[in-house]
Amino acid sequence: MKIAVCVKQVPDTWAEKKLRDDDSTLDREAADGVMNELDEYAVEEALRLAEANGGEVVVVTMGPERAAETVRKALSMGADAGVHLVDDSLHGSDALATSYALAEVLAARNFDLVIFGSESTDARMSVVPAMVAERLGLPQVTFAQKVDVDGSKVAIQRQTEYGYDDVEAELPAVVSVVEKINEPRYPSFKGIMAAKKKPVETLTVADAGLDAAKLGATAAWTKVASFAARPPKAAGTVVTDEGDGGAKIATYLTEQKFV
Amino acid sequence: MSMDFSIPAELTELRGAFADFLEREVRPLEQEYTREYWGPSLDPEAATPLISQVRRRSADAGFYAPYLPEAAGGHGLSVLGTTLLVEDAAASGMRLAMVAVAPPNPAGPSTLLLKLPAHLWSTYVLPVATGHQTMCFALSEPEAGSDAQSIRTQAVLDGDEWVINGTKHYITNGADANFAIVFAVTDAQKRAAGGITAFVVPREQYRVGQIQYNMSDSHPAELFFDNARVPADHVIGEVGMGFLEAMSFLNAGRAYIGAQALGLAEFCLTSAAEHTRSRTAFGKPLAKFQGVSFPLARSKVDIEAMRWLVYHLAWRVDTHQDALAIMGDASITKYATTEWAYEVADRALQAYGGMGLMREGPIERVLRHLRMLRVVEGASEVQLLVIARTLGL
Ligand SMILES: Cc1cc2nc3c(=O)[nH]c(=O)nc-3n(C[C@H](O)[C@H](O)[C@H](O)COP(=O)(O)OP(=O)(O)OC[C@H]3O[C@@H](n4cnc5c(N)ncnc54)[C@H](O)[C@@H]3O)c2cc1C
Ligand SMILES: Cc1cc2nc3c(=O)[nH]c(=O)nc-3n(C[C@H](O)[C@H](O)[C@H](O)COP(=O)(O)OP(=O)(O)OC[C@H]3O[C@@H](n4cnc5c(N)ncnc54)[C@H](O)[C@@H]3O)c2cc1C
Repeated sequence: MKIAVCVKQVPDTWAEKKLRDDDSTLDREAADGVMNELDEYAVEEALRLAEANGGEVVVVTMGPERAAETVRKALSMGADAGVHLVDDSLHGSDALATSYALAEVLAARNFDLVIFGSESTDARMSVVPAMVAERLGLPQVTFAQKVDVDGSKVAIQRQTEYGYDDVEAELPAVVSVVEKINEPRYPSFKGIMAAKKKPVETLTVADAGLDAAKLGATAAWTKVASFAARPPKAAGTVVTDEGDGGAKIATYLTEQKFV
Repeated sequence: MSMDFSIPAELTELRGAFADFLEREVRPLEQEYTREYWGPSLDPEAATPLISQVRRRSADAGFYAPYLPEAAGGHGLSVLGTTLLVEDAAASGMRLAMVAVAPPNPAGPSTLLLKLPAHLWSTYVLPVATGHQTMCFALSEPEAGSDAQSIRTQAVLDGDEWVINGTKHYITNGADANFAIVFAVTDAQKRAAGGITAFVVPREQYRVGQIQYNMSDSHPAELFFDNARVPADHVIGEVGMGFLEAMSFLNAGRAYIGAQALGLAEFCLTSAAEHTRSRTAFGKPLAKFQGVSFPLARSKVDIEAMRWLVYHLAWRVDTHQDALAIMGDASITKYATTEWAYEVADRALQAYGGMGLMREGPIERVLRHLRMLRVVEGASEVQLLVIARTLGL
């Protein structure tokens, strides 16, 4: 079985994120880049499926040069090979463009299963897996908290507000996972050393045969018109207790519609 | 060729993975531990189950005892790599993180165990390498501390068994260990030069006496050996060579102690700097008074000096330089790092004022631990003795 995992490099979850003054896109240089946390679960699930069913795991990312670190992390965890789409013209791509680029790269490589995280921590649109599936004409079984592959079928438990749904699809298919699904492994020292020898294909837009007119900030369907920093926290309300503190707090909470 | 002080990329990557492990898995346990331990009872044993949990989780995740070869359940990580993880664990400021890599805590697998015959590895090496069991290192005696070669514990061969008699004290993890590495005299004439042997002795062969409560959070114990018996193959290395075998691993051990002292000093400095930036007195942040900031700047100088002593020692061990030739550097590193780290912690405590003395504050625990490091594993004076010898004194 040939499994692809799509991973995105995002700014460190704890870092203060900011937008660039010149083009209002996320400033990716301002903070350390890390693998999108949910994508670690996606990598883990791919590795488990490959360990259980035999097969190969290829990690795919679209992102700036330093996103190569994220590819290497997935390889250190145990993935077999990497594909890194990197090109200045990709900068500012929206979700439609990202899904176009990823879909083309995936289509050219014939995977049985494509696994995504269900959401990135920086843009949090949670749409890329569905868009990619649509572009590839493949069934999408998303928000999986459990994945089983049996012959030519993939069966998942799709997390819902009330529990889960059992959903099945024929392979090839697109899956996205939620964090309940597993506990991602940490790259081991052995894994890190082995990753150095694993193949990573670095592709430009031209290498991947993509239409540059569909990519980047100019092709985006949406534009950030303006932005402002979050206003500083307003001073709190001080309630002085003169024997009636409890009542005052209750009144305040009612006024604010907290209770 | 120029000198290369860079940290290899794979070690930087490994540190990243270890940092994730500490934040995701150890941090929540540490919060639980802090609640339990600093509760009204201040129960020194409260942490024991959490410590075992961290050990096993760390072993599963691939960070525990990484210096052991793969055949022994480790990862063949270099001394430098291990040193960096020990530093990072200490720098996290978490008490529980300090067992995550194993050294310099003697409860983890000593490299000396690799000198056991191969058929004993499944009994004594793998269980400690995977964090399922722990050991202790029993050298010190009531009448022999710094002057370790005057130990009185004796071992006599009786048929195909060694019979051991004597008393050990101040043995870290003595009460909980599954077995002990025990040093005993096998030739009273030769002593350190061929007359002291190291044995591995299972728990059922010795008795645990008093727990020796002290100012640190680690409480050693007395161990009594009354006709303790072990098979002849339970000798570590060769009969009579216990001291020499131990010496050959001492240099790496000193790099690990140095790394822990370094990490703790870094934690103290980071915490104190943060505190003085946010705490105000006389209308401005404490950090704006040079009387406060200069001691912290001094600490930064000490920390960078410590760092390069530690990394350099690790590099010398990794490049297989002659163990005896490195001993001077190992003593310099142990002496400097533990003494300076203590001063760094003391300055940090001062910068915190009253909160520095508080049990629930960040510094007090670290200061007590660092005070201990200046005494154990060769007190500072013993290090100076070794250094003086390298000067021909
Ligand atoms: C603050 C901010 C706001 C944005 N707003 C918009 C907007 O309103 N409209 C719009 O179209 N675009 C927007 N974008 C652009 C959008 O982030 C990118 O197009 C992004 O690549 C896809 O969206 P996402 O990160 O939300 O992905 P999600 O759909 O949240 O990600 C789901 C999964 O898709 C995979 N994935 C996502 N990106 C990549 C990648 N580059 N390489 C490999 N796998 C990937 C991962 O597995 C991930 O877990 C915004 C970006 C930022 C930073
Ligand atoms: C918390 C704790 C944990 C320990 N864990 C272990 C363990 O796991 N295993 C183990 O075997 N031991 C352990 N020890 C013992 C420790 O190694 C000894 O306490 C240490 O070596 C000092 O020996 P001593 O206490 O007998 O002091 P002494 O040897 O009596 O020394 C007293 C003082 O005299 C100084 N001194 C001694 N000789 C000289 C000299 N020639 N010149 C100048 N000054 C000198 C010393 O530096 C020290 O300051 C532990 C001790 C403690 C407190």
